[in-house]
Amino acid sequence: MSAPLDDKLERDLSVGTAWLVVLATIARAEEPIHGYEIARQLAAEAPEGLSFKQGTLYPMLRTMESEGLLRSALVPSSEGPARKCFTLTADGRRVLVAWHDTWRRTNKWVNRVLGGVDELR
Amino acid sequence: MNSADIPSDQSPSLDPVRAYLLQLELALESCDPALRHDALIDAEVHLRASIAAGTSPAQAIAEYGSPEEIATAYRSIPTTGGSLRSAISASAASAGSRSETVASAVDREASVSAATSADTSATTSATTSAAASAAAAHSDHGAASSRWKSLRRIPLVGVWFHPIAWRSLAYFGIIGFPLALAYFVWVVTVGTIALGMLPILIGLPLLVFLLGSARALSLFEGKVVELFLGVRMPRRTQPVVGIGEGASQVGFWSRILCWLRDIRSWLSLGYLVGNFPISLAAFTATLTLSVMGLVLVGMPILDLFGLPIGVAEMDDSTRIHFLFTEVKPDADGKLWLPPGAAIPSFLLGFCFLTATLWLVRGMGWVYAHVVQAIQVARPRPAAPTR
Repeated sequence: MSAPLDDKLERDLSVGTAWLVVLATIARAEEPIHGYEIARQLAAEAPEGLSFKQGTLYPMLRTMESEGLLRSALVPSSEGPARKCFTLTADGRRVLVAWHDTWRRTNKWVNRVLGGVDELR
Repeated sequence: MNSADIPSDQSPSLDPVRAYLLQLELALESCDPALRHDALIDAEVHLRASIAAGTSPAQAIAEYGSPEEIATAYRSIPTTGGSLRSAISASAASAGSRSETVASAVDREASVSAATSADTSATTSATTSAAASAAAAHSDHGAASSRWKSLRRIPLVGVWFHPIAWRSLAYFGIIGFPLALAYFVWVVTVGTIALGMLPILIGLPLLVFLLGSARALSLFEGKVVELFLGVRMPRRTQPVVGIGEGASQVGFWSRILCWLRDIRSWLSLGYLVGNFPISLAAFTATLTLSVMGLVLVGMPILDLFGLPIGVAEMDDSTRIHFLFTEVKPDADGKLWLPPGAAIPSFLLGFCFLTATLWLVRGMGWVYAHVVQAIQVARPRPAAPTR
């Protein structure tokens, strides 16, 4: 019964935080960054046991772009088709700051509540 | 079928990326063609970049996700842009105004829900004040949108409440024909010069240039069509190296060779030429019908304000008839709407305008799907052989 629930939090959290980490990865890149590089950086920094399917990044990037959070440009590549490179728009930066703030407060709250269940370990 | 079925790159006869793309295409079969086109290009670009960076094809594919997972992710893309952003703005503004209310990751979830379903977001977002305000805003918006949609369902005249019909009217009545004329003049001028210069060889690069420009113009036309006719076009240009092409380097000549081999180049060229007479006919029909409609609707309005419908200087032998009634100028030469003609004139004009909206909407649907078909056309990859 609990086995399917074991992954539930991870799944729910990844849905909630994927946009935040993708926006943050694009924000900290010094130059326009393409999808593969975003996926590579996210995979490299993912904690052990946590993985995400890199292909799900692209529909996310498309939605972000259509919502005006990102802008993109095609950059020719020597390895095949031109790559779409992304930068944050002003709206994207504003949303990232707002979400970062939300995340910090949520994190603080969850840690405070979880502090009381340490003895269950 | 899933990524585990994809044979490894051990078989020299099979490109694993090509096999994966075929499976992804099948998984996306029910999706919009333009979205499928984008998804295939995203996957191809990513997998080739990953393989070029030293990852084995099997690992690159496994990390990318199974075709079903990826297809599900693409199907979840909202069809309308901007709704999520407004939900985010509402949420962020409300979050800024409150003090230390517990904010949670549900904020974003609520925003996403609000973008797709006002009802769902209202339920989900009740946990936080920020999310609740975003949901309330979207709930109002949803009710207004629902009222608007119910008006669209009125038989025959519902088309008046359809934004795509009005945008189609703008496309066929204003922008479509000048654009088609410009494309036609460009293709005919450059094409004629290129053909004329073929004997001295300069014509050949000119012809290739024409083909390249046709691809670019077709892409531009796609964006215009998407904006006005509301049918999604690919967000990406087609890959220079097509699906199944194993080349790793894209040089100048291979790019040109690809243009020449790509059916979309020729379809685009054909569209730019063939679009001119069709656009001319559509422009003429749209303008004639809408002007007739406007005149017929406008005359009773002029009459209502005590204004003449025209001024005429004519001899006694000239007769003017309007709706089977003779119209005679008064002493000042002014023409007045015949008594009892106001309502029939208005109704007839309304019918003409409604017919125009239906016509442009229908033409718009056909047009947009032709342009989309050109942009997403691709040789279907051959089934992988084991």
